Formats: sequence, C-alpha cells, structure tokens
Amino acid sequence: MKNSLIIAAMAATLGLSTQASAADLVFTSWGGTTQDAQKTAWADPFTSENGINVVQDGPTDYGKLKAMVEAGSVTWDVVDVEGDYAVQAGQAGMLEKLDFSIIDKSKLDPRFLTDYSVGSFYYSFVIGCNKDAVSACPKTWADLFDTVKFPGKRTFYKWSAPGVIEAALLADGVAPEKLYPLDLDRAFKKLDTIKADIIWWTGGAQSQQLLASAEAPFGSFWNGRLTALAETGVTVETSWDQNITAADALVVPKGTNNKEAAMKFIAAATSADAQANMAITTGYAPINLDSSAIMDEKLRMTLPDMQSASQINADMAYWAANRDAIGERWYAWQAK
Amino acid sequence: MALLTEQEKIAAVGSIRPIRSRNFALTVPALLLLVVFFILPVVSLLLRSVMEPEPGLQNYQALLGSTTYLKIFLNTFSVSALVTAVTLAIGFPVAWALAIMPKRWASIVFAVLLLSMWTNLLTRTYAWMVLLQRTGIINKTLMGLGLISEPLPLVNNLVGVTIGMTYIMLPFIILPLYGVIRKIDPAILQAAALCGATRWQALSRILIPLAAPGMVSGALMVFVMSLGYFVTPALLGGTANMMLAELIAQFVQSLVNWGMGGAAALVLLVVTLALYAVQLKLFGTARMEGR
Repeated sequence: MKNSLIIAAMAATLGLSTQASAADLVFTSWGGTTQDAQKTAWADPFTSENGINVVQDGPTDYGKLKAMVEAGSVTWDVVDVEGDYAVQAGQAGMLEKLDFSIIDKSKLDPRFLTDYSVGSFYYSFVIGCNKDAVSACPKTWADLFDTVKFPGKRTFYKWSAPGVIEAALLADGVAPEKLYPLDLDRAFKKLDTIKADIIWWTGGAQSQQLLASAEAPFGSFWNGRLTALAETGVTVETSWDQNITAADALVVPKGTNNKEAAMKFIAAATSADAQANMAITTGYAPINLDSSAIMDEKLRMTLPDMQSASQINADMAYWAANRDAIGERWYAWQAK
Repeated sequence: MALLTEQEKIAAVGSIRPIRSRNFALTVPALLLLVVFFILPVVSLLLRSVMEPEPGLQNYQALLGSTTYLKIFLNTFSVSALVTAVTLAIGFPVAWALAIMPKRWASIVFAVLLLSMWTNLLTRTYAWMVLLQRTGIINKTLMGLGLISEPLPLVNNLVGVTIGMTYIMLPFIILPLYGVIRKIDPAILQAAALCGATRWQALSRILIPLAAPGMVSGALMVFVMSLGYFVTPALLGGTANMMLAELIAQFVQSLVNWGMGGAAALVLLVVTLALYAVQLKLFGTARMEGR
C-alpha cells in the first residue's frame, strides 16, 4: 500500500516534469466542455501523430496575453480567442503571422480568415426557451424584447462582444443588411426597455443553469450550449430566426519559441477530421469547408451552418475597429 | 534594587542593538519576496496609469470625471460599509456565545466556521446562487407555505451581494472578537449586575467598550477586504451593483486598457490606505491589536 503510494507520487512528479519540458506545446482556451472537446478532437490526435505533447492551459485572458508578449516571455503557443479580438490584436502587433505553407487555407471558411488568425469553431447566438416553464416561447428577437407578450426574466451574454447589440437592433426593426455600422444610440435605447428584466450570463455553464432552472426561461444563447442542455433531458426550444454568428479564432502570440509546432497544431486542428469531431461533441459548426461532408446527416442539421436562411454574420472587422469604444460604452451602460 | 551604572546601561543598550539588527536581517527574504513579486508589479501598473496611452493625467480625468465610474466608487464603499455593519451585528453575538459556551460545543462551532472558510470560494458563491434564485429553495419554500405569491428578488441585486459577502466575511470578524471577549473577566459583568446595572447597561457600557478593540480591528479587516472583493459581487450582484475590483478586472482583462486599470487601482489603494491611517490615528496600534 505504502509502496504503491510512493510509486504514484513518483509518477506524478515525473508527469509534472515532462509537462514542463520545453518541446511541449501549450494550448490555451476557455475551459469547460469546449476545451475538453478541443483536447479530444484536436490535441490528442495531434500528439499521437507528431509526438508533440500538448499542455492545456486556461482560461484565455487578454491581459495575460498582452503581458507575455510585452515581457518577451511567451508561454502560450496557440490561443483560442474571440474573433474580433483576433483581428484587433493582429493589427496591434501582438500576434505572429500564420504560415499558410503549413496551414492549408484553401479549405477554411474565408469569413474567419486573416493573416494572423483562422477560425477555431463557429457558433450562433440563438433564442433558447425552456418549454416546460412557459406557455409560449419567443421566436424572434422582437419577441425576446417584448416584455408584454413574454413577461419574465430573460438572459443575455454579459460581456461586450458581437451578439446582444445586433439582437437589440434587429428587434427594433433594423434590416439585416443595414446593421453595420451599428447604431449604438438606438441599440441602447432598445436595451433600456428590457434592462430591468435581464439576468446576465457570464459563461456557458451559467447560461445553461439559468435556463434549466427557469430562473430565466428564455434568452440568447450559444447554440452549442442548448444542444448540450437538451441532451440532459431539459425540454429546450431553439429558434434559429436571424441567428447571429460569430467565431472563435486560433492565434499564435508574438514571440513564442514553438512557432513551427504551433503552425502544425493549427493545421491539424483545422483539418476536416478534427473540425468534424469537434462539431460532433460540441454542436458548434466546423470552419473547414470539407467537414460537413464527413459528418452524420442528422447531426449536421443541428449545426449553425445549416441555418443560413436568415443568418446574420457579425462583422468582425467592424467590431475590431470599434471594440474599445463599444466596450467602454457597454460597461458604463450596464453599471448605470 | 540597585540602580544601573552608566556602563551597565551602555552594555544593556548595546546588547539590544545587535538583536534588533539580527531580527531585521531575518525579515530580508520576506521583504525581498514582497518587493519583487508584489511592490514592483504594483508600481509598474500604477506607472502605466500616467504613461498610457500617453504621459499625463488623462486616465484620472476620465475616471473621476465620469458619473458612471463615480457611481461604481460610491457603490464599492456603500456595499463594503453595509457588509461590515451586518457582519458585525451577526458576528458579535456569535463571538460572545462562543466565549461563554462549554468548550466542547465551542469547538464544534469553530469547526463549522473554519470548514466553511476552507471550502472553495467559488463553490460557496454558486451555492448561494442556487439557494437564492427565484426558483431556488428559499423562494420555493416560502411560496409553498403561501407566505409570498411572487418570488422575492434575492439575487442579482444588492441583497444577494450582501448575503454572500457577509457569509464569507463572518469568520474574519468572529475570530478577533472571540479573542477579545474571552479575555473579559465574567466577574466584571456580575459586579455590574450587583451594582444595579440593567442588562442593557451592562452590554452598552461594559461589554461593548471592552470588546471595542476587537470590533474595530475586525470591522476594519472586513471593510478593507470588501473594498477589493471580486467573485461574490460579480456572481451574486446585478450589473448595477458593480464594484471597483470588477471594473479593474474589466479594464485589465477584457478591454486591455491598462492605463485606466492602473488609475482605478491607485484610487482604490489611496482610499484604503487613507482609511487605514485614520483608523490608526483614532485607535492606535496598541488598541487595534487588542492589548
């Protein structure tokens, strides 16, 4: 008994020391079920193929990333970030240019492609509703902003990011093709009308908890979280009407010592297989154009890329250019 | 008892000095650690507040000139004051009970207190969220009993923040208070009763003044800790109850505006130190330590 304990302790120590070795690649993402899926679908196959150990770190923190790049001691090699941040950080000189001789960009969704970033996975903000908790479910953004027809609390994403402002403008009747540049005054005026009825969710797990407990019986959610929640037995209704897409992006912080391995990792993570496997576990859509062909038909129908009829693409270039100004205004409005 | 000769005095003083400097030498590793890993990073963040995006005081102007940010400052102090008051009101009777209850019972209560302190903060905060929400146990029970017809808004507002933070801060006030109250001789209270003092007089004119040092040091600790609190207000409060630490985190992590983040941090630091100085001036170090 004692011996086995000692052996276990030694194994743990060895494990730690291999984790710290310089040849390893550090992948940083947002934690939770999404990062678990990224590990299984991307990192594990990558390790068995290339022999490069992938250490998982997280959560993504733009402040930390900036500190690493400024101090010249970068310990994150590949980072999953929000799409608008990727565009902005690339312009600000925080990221390495991607090597498209290693990464095959001809198969990647051009909507999420820049010199410094490729899509990681893409998702839609959709309207989710707990059918058991209410007599009628909101179907459109206008419904979700209508507290007379649909009284009660509703939940929205707390942070300043593409999604909520677009939803407010669409609810107010702005035509999708006239969405950008965003009319912030109009959006905040619309948001004011439901502010007292909003419960903010800060992360995917919390959004599921709010919906499942009917603390907020409807709201705006990442589609993948609703898929996952439905699997646990909650009666979830998803409305894809005017679903708003945004994507996470994979980037390489400037100054990493593992640049080549990082490029190889991104190439592997964005391959058709890896993207398909990621989509199967998470319910988010693949950014490799060949992935859906190798996926199960029934599952494909639940992904955002099958919901393109009334789909609205958040304009990442607009967001990158206005991220700071919108952010300041957003948080000031929330705190008011 | 002979008086010391001049020589003996010098010898005595001389023997004290090396001990003092040796004691100081022992603190050097700890001080170095603090300088390298705490003071230098803090100073560099504060420097950014006057250097980014360009040298000048524009960050402070933006911070202090905005009604939104001033509201967050005000909110930070009023929430901290409220939490301190509630913590003191609950903690005092508990500390008193602990001091007079049989030892075996007291050790059980202490175990509960410490166990809750050692449990992960995030877990405890989420637990409150589940208890307090509109569809939570508390509201369901009250509605089931027919006491209320609409769920009480207990979370995502000031009520939630106050409950969550008070719960977390309680040990920090009970432990110092217990230390002070335990040292009060129970005979003093008996004497007061014998001299005709009512219970209220015994409490307000004997027990509370004697326990005041513990109350002050505990309250100060709770107040200062509350000023910089992040997780609990972020999860149990609404966006209208935002506190300063949350604002700083937003500047540093989300908006990556370190100039403003540094400015907000400096304001918090200055106010905290000023409060501490006032406290020292009013009560002095000796009384604060409960001597």
